[in-house]
Amino acid sequence: MPFILVFLLLLPGCVSPDSSIEENDTGTVSLVVWHSFATESKELATFESQIARFMASNPGVEVETSAIPFSEAARQFMIAAQGGEAPDVVRLSSDQLGEIGEVRVGGQSLLEDLKPHLTPIERSKFDARALNAMKYEGDLLGIPASQDCLSLIFNPLLFDAAGVDYPSENWTLNDMVSAASQLTQGDVHGLAMPVKNAYWWFGFQAGYGGSLFDENGTPTLDSNGSAEAMDWMIDLEMTHGVVQTGTQSESMKTQFLSSKAAMVVDGPWNWATYEAGRIPLQQSILPIVDSTGERVSPLVTYKGWSVSKQSSQKEWSVRLALHLSSSESQREFALETYTMPTHVDVYVDSEVAQNPVISGFLEQLMVGFPAPTTEAMSMVYDPLGTAFENVYSGELDATTALAAADAALESDLEGGG
Amino acid sequence: MKRFLILLLFPILLGNVSAGSVNQIELDGSVGYRQVGIEMVLSEPATNGTYYEIRMNDSEFSRTEDSLLHSVIIVGETAGLMQPEMGDWYDDCHYVLGDDIFVPIHRKSDGTGVVPNGTVSIGCTLTGIPSGQEYYFAVLTIHSNGTEVISPVILSSSTTEDTLVAPLKTSPYLFAIGSISLSLIALLYGLRWLDYRDGRTTSKGAHFYIAPALLSLAVLTFYPVIYGIWLALTDADQSRLGEHVFVGLENFFTVFSTSGFLRVTGFTLLWTVVNVVSHISFGLLLALALNKSGLRGKTAYRTILLLPWAIPSYITVLVWRGMFEPAGAINDLLGTDLNLLADANGARFAVILVNIWLGIPFMMMSISGALQALPKEMYEAAEVDGIGTLGQFRHLTLPNLRSALVPLSLLGFIWTFNMFNVIYLMTDGGPNLDFDGPGSTDILITYVYDVAFRDGAYGVAAAWSVVIFVMLVVFSWTYMKRTNATEAVT
Repeated sequence: MPFILVFLLLLPGCVSPDSSIEENDTGTVSLVVWHSFATESKELATFESQIARFMASNPGVEVETSAIPFSEAARQFMIAAQGGEAPDVVRLSSDQLGEIGEVRVGGQSLLEDLKPHLTPIERSKFDARALNAMKYEGDLLGIPASQDCLSLIFNPLLFDAAGVDYPSENWTLNDMVSAASQLTQGDVHGLAMPVKNAYWWFGFQAGYGGSLFDENGTPTLDSNGSAEAMDWMIDLEMTHGVVQTGTQSESMKTQFLSSKAAMVVDGPWNWATYEAGRIPLQQSILPIVDSTGERVSPLVTYKGWSVSKQSSQKEWSVRLALHLSSSESQREFALETYTMPTHVDVYVDSEVAQNPVISGFLEQLMVGFPAPTTEAMSMVYDPLGTAFENVYSGELDATTALAAADAALESDLEGGG
Repeated sequence: MKRFLILLLFPILLGNVSAGSVNQIELDGSVGYRQVGIEMVLSEPATNGTYYEIRMNDSEFSRTEDSLLHSVIIVGETAGLMQPEMGDWYDDCHYVLGDDIFVPIHRKSDGTGVVPNGTVSIGCTLTGIPSGQEYYFAVLTIHSNGTEVISPVILSSSTTEDTLVAPLKTSPYLFAIGSISLSLIALLYGLRWLDYRDGRTTSKGAHFYIAPALLSLAVLTFYPVIYGIWLALTDADQSRLGEHVFVGLENFFTVFSTSGFLRVTGFTLLWTVVNVVSHISFGLLLALALNKSGLRGKTAYRTILLLPWAIPSYITVLVWRGMFEPAGAINDLLGTDLNLLADANGARFAVILVNIWLGIPFMMMSISGALQALPKEMYEAAEVDGIGTLGQFRHLTLPNLRSALVPLSLLGFIWTFNMFNVIYLMTDGGPNLDFDGPGSTDILITYVYDVAFRDGAYGVAAAWSVVIFVMLVVFSWTYMKRTNATEAVT
C-alpha cells in the first residue's frame, strides 16, 4: 500500500512544470489580456469591439479578456506574476509602473521592456510626454493609450436656477467658493469633491506652489503651499459647507448625477456616465489660485498596455498592445467615451479637435503635470491619506501632518518600501 | 541565393552614389532581441539638409515604394537639441565626424535623430525587427536638392531569441511536501509493523483508512504552517521573490517594535471579547425566547433572525457601510449629520456593531439546538419543587448548556479573532491616524493583509501570522484546560 501512495505522490513531480503551452496543436496563439474597464460601460464595449477586430484580422490569434478593478490592477498583476500566472497584456497606469518596476521574481522584472519592440516611426506616433511617462529606470514598460486628469464639470441648469455666472477661464478659487456658496441651497451643494483624497489634492497643491518631489526625487510634501492647499480643500466641507460631509469619489458621482451638486471636480472618464444620466453638462478649466496667481495644475496620468515578461508570445502581445493604442483605436475611444488620446494623429483629427468636450479636457491636460513614474509616486498615497485623516479629524494641523507624511515617505523610501 | 542576388545588385547601385550618400551598410543581427545593428558609411562627409531613411521589407526591393520606413536621420544644426547618453534613449544611435570618436546622436523633440554637418558614418540599433525573420534593409539618401540615392540592399535578421522567464522552481516545495508525506507514510508503516509485532491484528486496515486524512492534513495544514514559520525567518519581500535568505528572528523584532503593535493587539482583544460575549448573550436570549412553549410563528421568527447569516456577508457589510455614510439611512433616521466612519472611536463602534449583528444568528441556532435537547421532565420537576424561571435558568439551563456553550465560545473566539471581511469592507482598517502603523479599526489579521499585500513584506507578514497563531494556540490551550472543553463535548 505505501508504495502505491509513494508512486502517486511522486507522479506530479515528474510532470514538467513547463507543460502548459500557449500555442496549441492547431497553431492558434492564445493571449490573455487584463483590462480595468467597468462592466457594461461604453469603454468595455469599445474595447471588446477592438479585440474582435484584432482577432478578425489575425485569424490565428485568440484573445481572452478579464476585468480587474483599476485600483487593484498593479497588486493583482504582481501577485499573479509571482505565481507565474501573469496575463500576456495588462492595462496599467503610469503611476503604477514604478511599483511594479521594482519587483523581481527569480531575479527577473515583471514587465517587458518594449524599447526593442517598437520602431522609431511607431514610437514617434505617440505624444513624447506620454511615452516618457511609461518609462521606468530607462525601460519602456507600456504603450500609452490614453491620458487623463481632473477638470471642472458643471450643471448649467443649477447655475441658471441660482442666477450664478458659469465658470470661466478667469475664475479664481475664491470665485469658485463664492459661486459654490450661492449654489448651496437645501439638499443641493455647490460642489462635489472628495476633500480627503490625495489625487484631488495634487492639482491644488501645485497651484498653491507646492510640489511632490524635488529634481532628485526627494519628497517635498511639507511646503507651505502644500499645507495651504490641504486646508483649502478640507475647509470646503468643514468651514464653507459647500461640499457635502463625507463626500468620496463614488458619492461625488452620485450627487452630481442626481443634480444634488452643481459642480464636480472630475475626470473625462465619468463624462459618458453623466451624459447617460441625462443631465446637462459643461466643462471648464480649473481655476487660478488667488494667492499665487497660478492655475490649479492637476496630475496627469497615462494609461497604457504593458506586456508581461512571462509572456511566451511577446511579439503577438506587442502587436495587440499596438493595436489597442493605434490611432484608430484611440480615435474610437475618444469619440465614443471621451477618453483623451496620446496618439499625435488623433490630436489633429478634425472630428476629435472639433469636439468641445475632448478639446476642453485636452486644454486642461496641457496645464497639468505628468505623474512621476517612480516607486516613490506609488508610495505617496499612504502617508498622504494618513495626513488627510489627521487634519480632517482635527488631530493635527496641515503643516504638522504633512511634515509627518514627508518623514514617513522618506523613511519608507530608505527602507525600500 | 538571395544573398547572391544582393551581391550582384551591389555594383549596380554603387554607380548611383553621390556626395554624402550612404554607400555602404553593415548589419549585425546579434545585437539583441528584435534588434539589428546597422553601420552606415558615407561616401563623403554629410552636408546640411540631407536626410537618411532606413527602409526595410520582407521581400527584395529596389524602389522605396516597395519598402517600409523604419527611421529617419537628418543632417542639420544640432545646437540646442538633446543628446541622450547611449542607453538612455529608446534606441541607440551614434555618429563619427572623422576623428573615429563615437558621439551619441542628437534628438529632436519627436525623437528624430540629427547628425551634424561633416558626419562620415552613422551607427544605429534598429529596433522593432521581428525576431528570426529575414528582412532586406537599405538606406535611402535624400539630398537637399531632392536627388535620391539608395544604398545596397542587404539581407539580415535579428537572430537573438527572446529570453523567456524560467518557470518558478517548484521542486523545493514538492520536495518539502513529499518529505512530510513520506515521513507520515513511514510512520504509519512503522505503527502497523509494531501492531503486527505485538499481535494487534484485529483491525488490519486501520492505518490504511486513516492514511488519506493524514496525508491531506500534511499537505493542507502541516506544510503551510511549517512553510509560514520558515518564511517568517527569511527576508522574503515582493521586490525579490525567490531570493530570500534566512534572517533569524529579525522579522519578529520588526513585529514587536511596530508603532501601534500594542494598540492593534488591544483592539483585537476588545473586538473579539465584545463580539463573542454579545453573540452568545443575544444568541442565548433569542434562543430562549424562541424555545418558549406556546410561542406562535416560531419558524417565521427563526427564518427572519437567520437572514443576517443567510445573506453573503460582503453584501450586508457594504449595505451597513452605506447606512453609516453621512448621507446614509442612520443619519436620516436620527436626523443627525454624523460621519461615524471618519472618527476613530465611531468607526470602532460601527464595525463591532455590524459584526455583532452578523454573528448572532449562528449562536442563536446552535444554542436553540442544544436547548431543544434538554429534557422537559427536568423543568417539570423544578416547577413541582417551586423553582422560578430565573432559578431554572440559573440552576438547570445554564449548567446543561455548558457542553454546547464552551466549544461554541472557543470557536467564536477563534473565528472573531481572525474575522477579516467585516473590517476590510467597512473601513479597510481606517481611519488611519498613525503614520506607518495600523489603522484605527485594524485588527491583527487585517493589518497582516496590509503588510503582506500593500507593503509586500512577506517575511514580516509571516512573522505577524506566527504571532497570531501562537496567541490563538496559547488561548485555546488555556481555555480548554480551564474549562475542560474537550471533556464537555465527549
